[in-house]
Amino acid sequence: MKYLNLEIKKINRLLKEGKITPVDLVNEAFENIENNKELNAYITLNKEEALKQAECLINKEVDNILFGLPIAVKDNIITKGLRTTCASHILDEFIPIYNATVVEKLRAKNMIIIGKTNMDEFAMGSSSRTSYFGSPRNPWNKKKISGGSSGGSATTIAARDLLFALGSDTGGSIRQPASYTGIVGMKPTYGRVSRFGLVAYASSLDQIGPMTRNVYENALLLNAIVGEDEKDLTSVNKREEDFTRLIGQNIHNMKIAIPNFFMSDIVEEEIRKKVEETIKILENNGATVDYIDVKYLENTVTLYQIIAMGEASSNLARFDGIRYGYSKENPENIEQLYYKTRAEGFGEEVKRRIMIGSYLLSGENAKVYYNKALSIRDDMRKELIKVFQDYDLIIGPTTTTTAYDLDDSMDDPSKSFMDDVLVIPANMAGLPGLNIPIGFDHSHMPIGLHIIGNSFEEAKIYHLASFIEKAVGLELNPNLGGENDE
Amino acid sequence: MMSKYIPTVGIEVHVELKTNTKIFSSSKNGYGETANSLTNVVDLGYPGTLPTLNEEVINLAIKAATILNCKIRRQMHFDRKNYFYPDNPKNYQITQSRTPIGYDGYVEIEVQGEMKKIFIEEMHIEEDTCKSAHRGSVSLLDFNRAGVPLIEIVTKACITSSEEAKLYLEKLKQLLFYGDISDCKMEEGSMRCDANVSIRKNEEDPLGVKCEIKNIGSISNVAVAIEKEIERQEKLVNNNETFQEQTRRFDDKISDTVLMRVKETGNDYRYFPEPDIPYVELTDQMIESAISSIPMLPDERRQLYITRGVTEINANKLIANRGLSDYLNEFIDTNLNFKEAVNLLLGDISGYLNKNEKTIYDTTLTKEKFLDLIKKMEENILTSKNLKDILNKILESDDSIDNIMKKCNISNITDTKMLEDIVLKVISENEESVQDYKSGKDRAIKYLMGQIMKETRGSANPQMVNQILIRELNK
Repeated sequence: MKYLNLEIKKINRLLKEGKITPVDLVNEAFENIENNKELNAYITLNKEEALKQAECLINKEVDNILFGLPIAVKDNIITKGLRTTCASHILDEFIPIYNATVVEKLRAKNMIIIGKTNMDEFAMGSSSRTSYFGSPRNPWNKKKISGGSSGGSATTIAARDLLFALGSDTGGSIRQPASYTGIVGMKPTYGRVSRFGLVAYASSLDQIGPMTRNVYENALLLNAIVGEDEKDLTSVNKREEDFTRLIGQNIHNMKIAIPNFFMSDIVEEEIRKKVEETIKILENNGATVDYIDVKYLENTVTLYQIIAMGEASSNLARFDGIRYGYSKENPENIEQLYYKTRAEGFGEEVKRRIMIGSYLLSGENAKVYYNKALSIRDDMRKELIKVFQDYDLIIGPTTTTTAYDLDDSMDDPSKSFMDDVLVIPANMAGLPGLNIPIGFDHSHMPIGLHIIGNSFEEAKIYHLASFIEKAVGLELNPNLGGENDE
Repeated sequence: MMSKYIPTVGIEVHVELKTNTKIFSSSKNGYGETANSLTNVVDLGYPGTLPTLNEEVINLAIKAATILNCKIRRQMHFDRKNYFYPDNPKNYQITQSRTPIGYDGYVEIEVQGEMKKIFIEEMHIEEDTCKSAHRGSVSLLDFNRAGVPLIEIVTKACITSSEEAKLYLEKLKQLLFYGDISDCKMEEGSMRCDANVSIRKNEEDPLGVKCEIKNIGSISNVAVAIEKEIERQEKLVNNNETFQEQTRRFDDKISDTVLMRVKETGNDYRYFPEPDIPYVELTDQMIESAISSIPMLPDERRQLYITRGVTEINANKLIANRGLSDYLNEFIDTNLNFKEAVNLLLGDISGYLNKNEKTIYDTTLTKEKFLDLIKKMEENILTSKNLKDILNKILESDDSIDNIMKKCNISNITDTKMLEDIVLKVISENEESVQDYKSGKDRAIKYLMGQIMKETRGSANPQMVNQILIRELNK
C-alpha cells in the first residue's frame, strides 16, 4: 500500500487510528527515494535518525495534521547533526551544531526530516546545475532540468517521494523549479518566516517557503513555519492565522491584475496561451482580470544582479577555511589559506558572483550601482504595492519557457538570470508569490501560473490558487501520467 | 627648543561598553575568562546565523553621545565593513559608517589655564574583533572579545600638541568612566587609542602628510608617540625628504614609533547597509530615559565639592577616586561637613583602604556611622589620635562608634570640672614651666599641654584643655 499517495487528511486519520505509524511513512519515503535515485534529488539522506525519530513517535498522540510526516529540507537550511553543504565543496563535510528556526518548528510538529535536497551551489543558479553533487533531473523528463535553485526539493515532490519539502527563494528559487516540475511552491512575504539558519545568499531577498504537491498542503506547511523569531530581526510579528481558511471559496468579484510586461514576447507563446486560457476560466467564474502597466519591471534582472551579488560577496566572505568547512592544508601563509581554500572550495558560478559583487561594492561603484539599485528597488516596491489599492492579486506566467535540457549550454551566465525575470519582482518588493501548475506544453512539460499578493496576504493567494487547482484539474503525478521521453 | 612647525593631531578612541552581553548575540561580555568560553555560533560567524541587537548598547551610546555633547541621530542603520582578517569572524565587521549615532560634539579641556574645546567629528557603534596571539608559526584566536560592543570616538584634526592630546584622553577617560559607559582600562584593552599626526609650517598651509599611530597602550605613551612622530616628520621635512601616508605602531620597549605599513590607495572596505538589522529609530522616550540615568559627571562634582568648602586640590583628588566620590555624594542632602569628611576620606580612610585593598563599600562604614563619626570629630569628642587607634574597628565591626569607644576605654573627657582638676594638678607639679610661661616663653604652654594629655592618655579635649590652661595660667 502506498500511503504517501493519499490525501493528507486520510494519512492523518490512519495515523490517528493506529493503522499506520510514522515508521511506515518514513520507510515508504526512503523506498521512493531509492527508486528515484537517478533523479539525484538529495545530497544527504537522514535514514538512521529519521527512523529513530519515527519510532519515538509511535506511542505519541497524533496531535496535529503534520504529525509523523516526512519532509525534505533544502541543503542550505541548517540542520543540527545532519550534514549541511549548500551543494558546495567548501561545506561538503560541514555538520552543524545548531538548528535553523524552521527546523525547530518542524520538530515541534513532529515532522521527520528525511534528507537534504540538492540545489544550486549556495542557491546561485536557476537549474541546480551548479551543485557540487551533480544536478537533479526533472521527473517529467529525466533529460531536463528541474530548475533551481531549489531543484532537489521540487524534484522529490514532483516525483511523489513524499508530501513536503522546504525550499528557499532569493530570486525565484522556489517558484521557478515548482513551475518546471508541476508542483506548488510559495515564497512567503519577506519577514514571514525566520531566516535564522538559512545560509545567506542575499539577505534582503532570501526567504524560506513550502514546496508541496497541492495548495492545501502548502498552506498547512506554511502554518507550521511562520512566526516572529527573536533570532532574526527582519522577521515580523503578525497575528497567528490559518492560511487554509479561504481555500475552496468562490472567486466572485475577485479583482486580478496582469502586468503587460508579464505577457510580452519574452514569454513563449505556448505559455502565454495557457495563461490566457486560465484567465478565461477566472473571468467565467466572476473574477475580473485587467491588463495593466507596472513601471520598473523591465529593470528587474539588473537590480537583482546588483543587489544579490553585492550582498552575496559579503555573506560568503565567512567561508575562509579558518573556523569550519573546507580548509586548504599547509598554506604558506594566511593569504594563501584564503586564496586556495576559496579558489578550490567554491564553484565557478559562486566565484563569478562573488567577484562581480565585490566589484559592485568597490569604492565609488557602491554609489553608482548598489545604492542606486536600492533606491530603484524601493520605487519598484511602491509601484507594485500601489497595484493592490485596486486589485486583490497580480498574476502572470511563472517562467518564460518550460524546463529546458540538462545539457543546454551554461556558457551564457546571464541567461540563468533571465529565467527568473518574472519571479524576481516579488523578491524585490518582499511580496509573497506562488506557483500553481496550469497545464503542459507540447512535450508535456509543466506550465505554471505565478500569483503575487500584497504583503502578508498569503491566504488570498491560496484562495485563488486552490480555485485554479480545482478548475484546471490536472493529473500532476508524473509516475501516473507516464514520462514523456521526447 | 621651539619647533617651527605646527603639529595637527586627530585621535580615534575605541572603548568597550560595559554591557552584560555582546552587541549582536546573547554571549556574555567578559574579560579575562578562559579563551573561547564566551562564544556562540553567532560570534563565530557560523553559516546561517544572524545578529540580534542588544538594546543596552544603544542606551549606553546615547549616554556617551550626550556626555560628549554630540548631536544624536534619530534614524540610523548599521553598515558592513568588508575585509579579510583572521580576527574578523564574518570577514565583515558590523559598524556604522553612514549614520553614526553621535556627531558634532566636543570635550572641554583646560590647557595652561585656558579652556579649549576638542571637537568630536562623530561617534559610532561597532563590534569588536577577536583577539589573536602569535606563537611561532601558529596564530591562536580567542573569540571571547568578538562581538563585544564598542564605540569609536573620532576627533576633528584640532589637537595641536601632545599635551592637548593627553589632556583630552584623560578627560575623555574620566567622562566615560563616570558616565558608566566603559571601565576604560587601557591595560585590558577596554580603551584603545590611535593618533593621526601631521605637521605644517603655517596655519594657512594645507595639512601635511598624515601618519597614523595605532594601538598605543597608555595615555602617557600617546603623548610620547605623538612627540616622537612630530620629531620624525620634522627631520624628514627639514631634510627635504618626502614621505608617504603610513600606519605606524608604538613600541614601548624603544619608546618610539615603528613602521607597520605604507598606506595603499585608500582602503576599500566595500561598505553597504547591513541587511540583517532593520533601521533603528530612537524615540524621545529612549533618549530621555538614557540621559536621565547619566550619573553626576566630574565637572559637576568638582563644583559641588568646592561649594561645600572642599579645596580644589582635594576635590580633584576625590574625583580621581570614583568610589570615595560616589560615597560622599550619598551625603549631598545631609548637613555633613564636606571639608572634614573629605579630609578623613582622603587621609586615614584612604590609607586603610589602600593597605587592605578594599573599597569603601567593603567596610562597615554605613551612612549613619559616617555622619556620627564626622560629628564626633567636629565636636572633638573623638580626637584624630583616638581615631587612628580605633579606625580599623570602625571600618570592620558593626558596632556603633560609641560602643567601640567604650570598649577601648576612650572616655572623652569633656567634663569641665574634671579637666580643671587635671590642669590644676599639672600646674602645681610644674612650677618651672609656669614661670617660663609668665616670662613670655610660649614654648612652655606646649609642654604643659603635653603633660596634661599624658595624664589623660590623650583622651582630653585639646581645645577645652587649652582654654582652661590659659585661663588658669593668667590668673
